[in-house]
Amino acid sequence: MLTLYLLMMGVSAFTIQPEERTGKKGLSAGKGLSGEAVAAGSCQDRGKHFKTSLKVEGEPVVLRCPQARYWLGATASPRGTVTWRKSGSAVPAPGEDGRVWVQDGDLWILPAQRGDSGTYLCTVRNASYCDQMALDLRVLENTDASLPAVSYPQVLTVAASGSLVCPELSEFAKNKTDLKIQWYKSICLLKFRKQLLVHLTTYAQLLVKGDKVFTFYFYKSVLHYVFMLYCFANCKGIKASLAGKEVETVPVMLSPHQTISASLGSRLTVPCKVFLGGGAHSTTLLWWMANATSIDAAYQAGRVREGPRLEYSENDANYIEVPLIFDPVIREDLTTDFKCVVHNTLSFQMLHTTVKEAAATFSWGIALAPLSLVFLVLGGIWMRRRHRHRTGKAYGLTTLKTGHQDVQSYSSKIKEVK
Amino acid sequence: MAICRCPLSHLISLLLFLFPSETACRPSGRRPNKMQAFRIWDVNQKTFYLRNNQLVAGYLQGPNTKLEEKIDVVPVEPHTVLLGIHGGKLCLACVKAGNEIRLQLEEVNITDLSKTTEQNKRFTFIRSDSGPTTTFESAACPGWYLCTALEADQPVSLTNEPREAVRVTKFYFQQD
Repeated sequence: MLTLYLLMMGVSAFTIQPEERTGKKGLSAGKGLSGEAVAAGSCQDRGKHFKTSLKVEGEPVVLRCPQARYWLGATASPRGTVTWRKSGSAVPAPGEDGRVWVQDGDLWILPAQRGDSGTYLCTVRNASYCDQMALDLRVLENTDASLPAVSYPQVLTVAASGSLVCPELSEFAKNKTDLKIQWYKSICLLKFRKQLLVHLTTYAQLLVKGDKVFTFYFYKSVLHYVFMLYCFANCKGIKASLAGKEVETVPVMLSPHQTISASLGSRLTVPCKVFLGGGAHSTTLLWWMANATSIDAAYQAGRVREGPRLEYSENDANYIEVPLIFDPVIREDLTTDFKCVVHNTLSFQMLHTTVKEAAATFSWGIALAPLSLVFLVLGGIWMRRRHRHRTGKAYGLTTLKTGHQDVQSYSSKIKEVK
Repeated sequence: MAICRCPLSHLISLLLFLFPSETACRPSGRRPNKMQAFRIWDVNQKTFYLRNNQLVAGYLQGPNTKLEEKIDVVPVEPHTVLLGIHGGKLCLACVKAGNEIRLQLEEVNITDLSKTTEQNKRFTFIRSDSGPTTTFESAACPGWYLCTALEADQPVSLTNEPREAVRVTKFYFQQD
């Protein structure tokens, strides 16, 4: 693409230079005709403007010379003159069919035709200086298929007031007192229903009140001033919001716990888990802090760091989890105040946690557990054997004795009942 | 046997008690990058883009929308953020030159910025949310807010008169 462009520019430069030499006049504006004043070679080339102008046929086109704004706007510098020509074709002459003219340094084309597409070169010069810039114009067929290319995507949030703006009107709004702008939804003129249109300013803002959800996503504003300007604003956000409505909820912090037990020298991961319910993951920020500074700043060596953010859903409820990883836990961590912070537009919460040393009891406990189990089992067996041996000798006697007593007491009980 | 079973159940509960802290010590991934990309546009629907290495706000049509600059955000404290563009390689800073206060793009890596030191305060902005919109006040230049002009294609700058009608300080700010 780049080489093609360079080639084209090269070709256009070759075709233009002879035109300059033969003294063909470019479009001129301001105080004088200066097409022949400075050769193209001595003019500083500022390359191509970063924006491409896209229009549909029948619309008015106003191309502004980008660098002229600074030249003409600056009060200190003498006013320069602006000339226009179309690259790679004969110089568009103003007045032939009345469609193309220069007004206050801007190139006007009305109505635009598809053949007007191309690169336009504007040159600004005064007695001592000259520079040149290229602008791309594409005139598209006036069909619905061209709408995405000529649209200005604008986003409004659901359930809030906002405005759509008809952009790049300043050329039309210059010294105008009777600027009338109408807004359309697709091809239907929007009536000034109170709940929809609150106010229409000279900036051509369409204020949309947020108490309704709109199902349309193409707005078109029409400017009545000598001609009609179609201004498309693709209200993409409304459509997107309806498809996947981003809801914000107040998050509920499930962890960390107030204290975390850990052994010194071991690795430790403390998860910070937040329940969002039906709320969106993307609008909620979650991070850890240590003694009111960020983890990155407090532990530049990375001994303590945040793990990757986990976003997941369980039973239609959304959760976010960010772990804090100690590698390893050292004594200093026992006196540090760690907190997990959750923030979205509805709430700001934090949960503190401290690391508690459980090193000695834990390691001894683990070491002693199997040993004590063995001792208990052995002890149990020994006790049982010893017990059986002793009880075996005295068994007959005790049963006899108790049996006799039982019979006696039983018979006495019977007597009492009688 | 009853004597044996009782300490065993204690032991099991002891082991179960130990178990969660052991499972929590799982290996972690690489060091996280906390930078997040956000879309920013002002209440007049102007988006940000670069023109001659200057950040400007205006309207982008159809194929030009690919020029839009997303804002890379690194949170510092609960309501303060570092703002950058180009994957966090260019950072927004409030710079005082004499009596003049202006917004500057500086070539620093947003993730390399130490958030606590005083000389890096110029990169810090205080984020305030009000309804669906957000304002950004410079931490180094208190009272100065990130703003755009009403006219399109004008530089993004700072203003100390946020209520003034010719400056727009309210932005929509949503994670991309």
